[in-house]
Parts: sequence; structure tokens; C-alpha cells
Amino acid sequence: MFDWLVLKALFRPVLLRWECFRCCSSVRHLLCLIALLAGGSVLTHAPAVAAEPVAARSDLTATIDQAIRSAWQQQKIEPADRCSDPVFVRRVYLDLLGRVPTMEERDTFLANASADRRSKLVDQLLTSPEQAEHFADLFDAILLGRGNQGVYDQREKHGWKKYLVNAIAENRPWNDVAAEVLLARPEAPQQDGAVWFLYEKKDKYQEIAEAVAPAFFGIRIECAQCHDHMMVDEITQADYWGLVAFFNRGKNKMTPNGPRVVESAIGGFSEFADLTGSSSPNRLQFMGKGPLDEARPKAGDKQQDKDELYIKAAVKNDPRVPKFSRREQFVKQVLVEHPLLARAMVNRLWAIMMGRGLVHPYDEIDSMHPPSHPELLDALTQDFRESGFQMRRLVRALANSEAYQLQAIRPESVNDPQWFAWYLQRPLTAEQMARSLQVVLRGEASLNRTLLASLRTQVPDVLPDNVQVDVTEALFMTNGAQLEAMIQNSRQPQSLHQRTLRQSNHPSRAKWLVDAVLGRSADQAEIDAITAYLAERDDRLEQAIDQVIWSLVSSGEFRFNH
Amino acid sequence: MRPKHQPNDPSPPRDLRYGCGGSEHTVHRRLFLEGSFAAGAASLASFSGLFSIPAVAEETKRSGKKCILLWLCGAPSQFEMWDPKPGTETGGPFAAIKTNLPGVQVSSLMPKCATIMDKLAVVRSMSTKPSEHFQGIDALTRGDAPRPPFVRPILGSVVAEQLGQLDSPVPQFILLDPCPEGNEFKAFKAGNWAGWLGAQYGPVRAGGDYGIANLEKSAAISDLDHSDREALRSFFTKKFANDQRSEAADNYNAAYQRVKGLMSCAPLFDLNKLPVADRERYGGGAFAQHALQARHLIENGSTFVMVANGMPWDNHVFQHEMHQMLVPELDNVLFQLVSDLEDRGLLEETLVIAMGEFGRTPWLNEARGRDHYPKAWSMAMAGGGVKGGVVHGATDSQGYEVVDGKVDNRNLFATIFAALGIDPHQEYELPGLPTFHRVEEDAAPIKEVLL
Repeated sequence: MFDWLVLKALFRPVLLRWECFRCCSSVRHLLCLIALLAGGSVLTHAPAVAAEPVAARSDLTATIDQAIRSAWQQQKIEPADRCSDPVFVRRVYLDLLGRVPTMEERDTFLANASADRRSKLVDQLLTSPEQAEHFADLFDAILLGRGNQGVYDQREKHGWKKYLVNAIAENRPWNDVAAEVLLARPEAPQQDGAVWFLYEKKDKYQEIAEAVAPAFFGIRIECAQCHDHMMVDEITQADYWGLVAFFNRGKNKMTPNGPRVVESAIGGFSEFADLTGSSSPNRLQFMGKGPLDEARPKAGDKQQDKDELYIKAAVKNDPRVPKFSRREQFVKQVLVEHPLLARAMVNRLWAIMMGRGLVHPYDEIDSMHPPSHPELLDALTQDFRESGFQMRRLVRALANSEAYQLQAIRPESVNDPQWFAWYLQRPLTAEQMARSLQVVLRGEASLNRTLLASLRTQVPDVLPDNVQVDVTEALFMTNGAQLEAMIQNSRQPQSLHQRTLRQSNHPSRAKWLVDAVLGRSADQAEIDAITAYLAERDDRLEQAIDQVIWSLVSSGEFRFNH
Repeated sequence: MRPKHQPNDPSPPRDLRYGCGGSEHTVHRRLFLEGSFAAGAASLASFSGLFSIPAVAEETKRSGKKCILLWLCGAPSQFEMWDPKPGTETGGPFAAIKTNLPGVQVSSLMPKCATIMDKLAVVRSMSTKPSEHFQGIDALTRGDAPRPPFVRPILGSVVAEQLGQLDSPVPQFILLDPCPEGNEFKAFKAGNWAGWLGAQYGPVRAGGDYGIANLEKSAAISDLDHSDREALRSFFTKKFANDQRSEAADNYNAAYQRVKGLMSCAPLFDLNKLPVADRERYGGGAFAQHALQARHLIENGSTFVMVANGMPWDNHVFQHEMHQMLVPELDNVLFQLVSDLEDRGLLEETLVIAMGEFGRTPWLNEARGRDHYPKAWSMAMAGGGVKGGVVHGATDSQGYEVVDGKVDNRNLFATIFAALGIDPHQEYELPGLPTFHRVEEDAAPIKEVLL
């Protein structure tokens, strides 16, 4: 074991060529950071949203508004105008429920004349089961990364997805969830899904470490594998191999209770070599915590595995537990009190709602990437900890903030997105697209799985650093069989197609289509264009309507949240 | 300087208003008009067209210069290629061999290029700053360090914008890279390539096992409807992009503008359609095959092809063993490529560049690897405005320092632009922002290697 690890560290650059280049940065797209959630443990189950005092809520929003505003003043920035209600309702449904509103939902909101209609809508959406589904989709991609359909099926089958959904629906404290996921020792069936985070890595300890760092600490450590991080002093090679060591006694095992990560009481000692060839022991340490006390066998000594090193599992049929469990030590001594645990989640939620983190990129919270609003990040982190690591509280405050409700039009005098002087446009995720297409084409929010599967391969990014639409996506939307089939098979009586067909003339069809797909009234140029298009095709009107629908759902306006 | 942004005309697409004429000619004509129009209209949102099109570029556009970049990502060793130091402490185990240039030697790992040194220009005095890959890749593909929040376009984007043919169905900037991975290069690839030029000048990515999917339209839709619904889609998106000043939506439309052209030139991307004899001559392996494909694409109207292969050159361990495999492959590829272009009469108009992001250390580390060394390294060029048979600059006897003709990434980019007939020092200004130049600081081109 030792020698192998040393060798591996040493040979890394060679292995890279054959082994699919895993080192600095491959994980970038896949993981990113934070979040998840799960089943019942020590800390209080957070009270439902409604119980939270109204004053506390607006305080947090006021904190955000003040900090953002004061930076605008300092930078002499004139922010964008407040967005209109039709813009807001589309935006907030997409950000909170992961889909556009139905026409009925939109009209209900627009008919509400009360002054607090926006915050009321936010409250309503935050307790919707769809909100938990949407955030679970986001966190799944952020924490574990994208995969093929087989990977998604496994995550579903082994309860990971459900675990995330429940954790979000119940607004569980993030620190509890993080602890359950990394301990991976479920005490009740509803926690079983938590095991999948480690289990999916198939005993590849470096992959585990490289996933844990962004997911729970908001940092990326890949560059510290072969040497101390060159640009970020606080991330050392000892931290990299220390984090690996916390997990390197695990072994996947399928038990009658489902997947489990068995932990050994011995082994996992190795040395890592830096580029000069000098080697150091892999002590149990990570980012300012440790090294923890642990007796190291002398070189050449063989450790004996003995029953007395273990205790029996609390749950029948679960694997025995080492008396000194590295994973447990990690959770208790490194994770739960670590300042980055809360900070990483706050920055992550900020990025989800605001389009980029206070620290950007959102999973590189290190000395090379200072926050745009340091005091605000501190204040929000403190609030997050003090309010029991509740994600929903912060998401609500963000959705109600002034910056969130600005128009998505960049003022001409501002270039830098870090001041949040306009709502930063963002592409829909694969799941948002699939759900929104379903809503628009069929008037229902369920999911077309075939379309989703193909969109996930075409549009893998969640929270991308910048928007680079590839021609392959345009080809998929233009010629791919899946979208075509979805449009052509949407012929139910309440479908967009049928409702359009029932309009009495082309101009009203045009108005109807723009209203239904883009959520706003059509202007004259658009009405003229669609009318002309349909009029040329009276002999094949049904096809022509599908073609106009195609042109609207593949337009930039539909593709982005704005 | 281009006039300030003119809002796009939000009237419906021409062909819709006047009925849908359907000949291929009309369709192409329309795509051409939309393409040019979009490039101009996008300027406010994407800073497209920051460089006015100078007379010199128009001239070159007619002369049709092109460029192939063999991107040796990870950074190869100058000692095992262009600047051997045989028999010295730093020289490594390989010999140096004579070339067809009197008095000039290269590594014995490069026997084929040794026979065409009279066609190559080798720079042995590159001396640059960044010593880490990400920063190095930035400097040597964009020509300079970043100046956030403005992203300097990558070389291929600049060349495509300056010399490319917007109405060509063949993509003007193509990245052939079979490897989706590759350490820092992977992260770099995910970034913004076209920068302020706007995404229409970004690369079309292909290569290896990724054929380009969805190139065929469904049989259920006529050519006419397929084109016209796209015109409608483009109209909605342009209108949105203008109303919202949305750079993202401009990028989005730019991707769609390529669909038609790509569909029409699908066979160009099919490696299996290339002659077997050519494929064998270039040798197995994605890098070699893609170099051949690059030639094929250039012959068929592309302007810039970048051939990469993940990041294989970063040999911190067992450098000699790795280079023993990598360098002869490159030697053959470069030899075949330059020879083919010359045989076809294309070398004069096609600049071939082979380089990485820096060099390797004179000393070996404990793992018998060479580490990053930006201080003194080499690269090579041929054709397209560059003089053959030139070796510029020199390092000391053991390759620690540049002792003659020191140049950096700016000098190199000025040279490349000058060779292609693009004004290296073109400037542009935006209100309230510092002036940018295509190459900053008036860095001089390397005159010795220019025709």
C-alpha cells in the first residue's frame, strides 16, 4: 500500500498520459461544491419556514441590500432598473422551481395587486415540492458531477437523489447533512442515500478527496497533488494527501442494507514525494486542522488486523466500525467546525441565485480569489451558522433582495459583473430546459425522461463561469431527434399546439405563441414575422405551427434566465 | 475605429417579409448577409469589431493566408528538439545531428525535420514569464496575460476574424483535439476562447472519436422550412440580444449561424474519407491523423486549424523516455505537413507553427523529469510569410540563459501577425477604458524570420 501510493504520486505525470489526465482541474465541471442533505440526526430539525419571524427575514435581506448598495456608491455605479413583474415571475420560477411558470401561474401572480406579492410568491415557491426537486438536481450535479444515464439511474436506485430531495424539502441543517454524507454510516433507512457520495467513487481515494474539497470546503486541491499549490499558499501537498488519508481505509461493500463503505482499523500509511523527490508521511490533516494523533507503524512493521480494534455496528447487518475511525475523526475534528463549511455553502447559494459567487469562481475560496464583498460574505456566513445552517433562509433573503430583482440589462456604464448591478443572465440547466419545455409544450410540469437524458449530455454545465454555446448544442436543437419528437408528440387538447391551432387567425396565433413560450406580449414585428411564416404555409399549417414553436423554444430568450 | 453600435434592425427576416424564395443560392446569400450583419451589430455586447478592418487586412484576405498551429500542450523540452546540448551536464542522453543547414544541429530525435531545416524558422531564444500551465497557455495562445474583465481572443480567433471568409460554409477556426481531458488545458478549453471578438470567432471543436453529431436534418422537414424556421429563430434571438444587450444571446446565435455551413461540409470531418496512403504516411495516433486532417481542412477553405492532443508534453517524470516517444512523432508530422503543403503549392500562404507554453529545465528533477522553464526555450515555424533556413537567437552552452536575440510571447505574436499580414499593433479604444493593442507595448516582430 505505501509503496504504491508513493509510486503513484511519483509517476503521476506519466500516468496522466494514459490515465485520462485527472490532475489539476478535470473535476472543474463536475463537482463544484456544496451541498446536500439528508435524514435525521443530532441537530434540530429546522422549523418550517413559516415559523421564522418575519423581522429576522427582512433583516437578512436588508443586510444584503445595504452591502451591495454601499459597493455601488463606492464604485459610483448606477445599477439597472427594477425588473417588471412578468420578468420576475419567469425568473423566480426558474431559479426556485427549475421551470418557467404555466400561463395560469403567471396570470395569478400578475393579477395580485398587493405590495408584497413578490415576497409572498417567493415564500410559496420555497415550500413547493418542486423546489426540493430542482435544488436536488442542482446539488446532484454540483456535488457528484454529471454522468451518463447509468450513473443517474444508480443515484436514483440507491437513494441519493431522494436523500437530497428530502434534505432540501425539510430544510435540514447543512452541517448535519455534510456529516452524514462523509461519515456514510446511516442510522436509519432514510439516511441510506447519503452513502452514495463516497460509494460512487469506487474506493478511488484521490477522487474522493478531490470531490470533498470543493463540495464541503469550497476549494479545489487538485493542483496540490504533486507539489504545494503554486498560487495558493494555504493549500499544501500535505493537505492533499492528508485528506486522501482520512478516506483511504474505506472499501465499498454491498450489504443486505444496501451499499456501505466498510472502514478498516489499520493501513493507509504512506509517504508522498514532492517534485524534488523528498518524501513526507501522509498525516491526518486538512486546511488548518490536524495533524491528528495517530500511531504510525515503523517502516517495515506489519500491522495486524484484530477484532478488538472494532466495535459492532449499531445497525444489524452493517459492517463493524473501527474504534479509531479516520472518517469519524474527519467529520468531528475537521468538518463540522470548519469555517469553510458554512462559507462555502453561503457562497454556493449566492452563486446559484445571483449568477456568480461573492468569491468567483465559487469553488475557489482561497487567498488567490478574494471576495467582492468581504464583510457581506462574513455576515452571511455568520448568519448561516447562527441560524442553524439553514439554506432556505438565505435563499429567501437572496430572492427578496434588490440586486436579485434588477433587470437583466447591463447598464452601459458598468462592465464588471462582480458588483451585481444587473441580474446576471444565465443559461438554463438541462433539467430546467427539460421541465420548461414540458410546461410550455404540454402545460404540465412533469419530466420527459428521453429529452432530459439527451439534454444532460448536450448541456452539462451547472453554474458555468461563462457562457460559451457550442455549435454541437445548436446542431442538437436543430437536427436532434429528441426535441423534434417532443414537439411533434405534444398534441394533447391542452397542448400549446392545439391551443394555437384553435385561435381564429394567424395574428392571434402569433400573439398566443409568443405569450405562451416567452411569457410576454409579442411586439408588432414578431407578430408580422410569425403571421407571414404561417400564411406561406396554409397547406401545412400544423407543421408550420410546430416550426414556429421550434423557433421560439430554441431562441436565446427561452434558453436563458434573465 | 468602428462607429458606435447601431441597434439591429428588428424587422422580420427579409425572406419572410417578401415570401420564401427557396433556392440554395438565396439561402446562402441570406446566411452571408446575416453573418456579416451580426458581426457588426454585436459590437456593443460582445466588443466584436473592436479592430477596424484596415487596408492591410483586406489585402491579406485576398491573398488568403492560413495557419496551422501544432499546439504541444504541456510544454516540450527544447533540449530534445531544437536546441540540443550534447555532451553537457544538461544535455540529456540523446545526440545532436546535422541538418541540411550548415552548422545547425537538432536533436537526434528529429531526423526528418533535419532534412527540411532550410524550410523552417527556429527560434531558440524564447524567454517568457509564466511558469505555470494555465498562465503559460494564456500567454502563448492569446499572446499576453489577461486583463480582466476583458478576455483577449485566442490566436485562432484573431486570425479567423481578420483573414477568414464569413460566407464560407467551412468553419474558419477549428480545434482538433481528441482528448476532452488534459489538466489545466481542459480547464482552459472550457473557458472563453474568442474573448472580445465574440463567439462567432470561437473554434468549431472536433476530432478523434467525437464525430460531429446531428449533422443531418430530419427527412420530415423540407430544406426550405428548415432554413426559414432558423431565420425566424435567429430573428427572435437577435431582437432579444439587442433589447437586453445580451452577450450570451449573441454567442448563442453565433453557434446557430454555423449549423448550416457545418451540415454542408460534413464529409470534411470524416477522417475515413482521407486517402489511406496519406494516413499511413502521417502515422497512427490522433495527433498525427489530426495534423493530416488540418491540411485537408486548410485545403478546403478553413483559415486556422489548431491541432492539440490533451496535454501530453508535461514530463515531470521520465522525461527522456516520454520524449523518446513524443518527439519522433512530432518530427514526422511536421515533416509530412510542411512537405505536403509545399508539394501542393500551399506553403507560401500557410503558416505552420509548432510550440508549447514554455520550455523545460536544463536540470533533471529526482524523478528524472524536466520541470517548467519559461526562461530559455525554443519553437519552430514554417511557410506563410516566414523565411526558411533561419535559426534565431541562442542560449548559453548549457541552455540556462538566452545569450542572443531574446524574444518573448509579444515578439512572437507580433511576428506571427506580421507574417500573416495582420497589423500587429492595431489599437482600439473604448470610452473610459485603457487602450488595448493587438500586441501590447509595441513589441517588435522578429525581423530575421520574416520574408
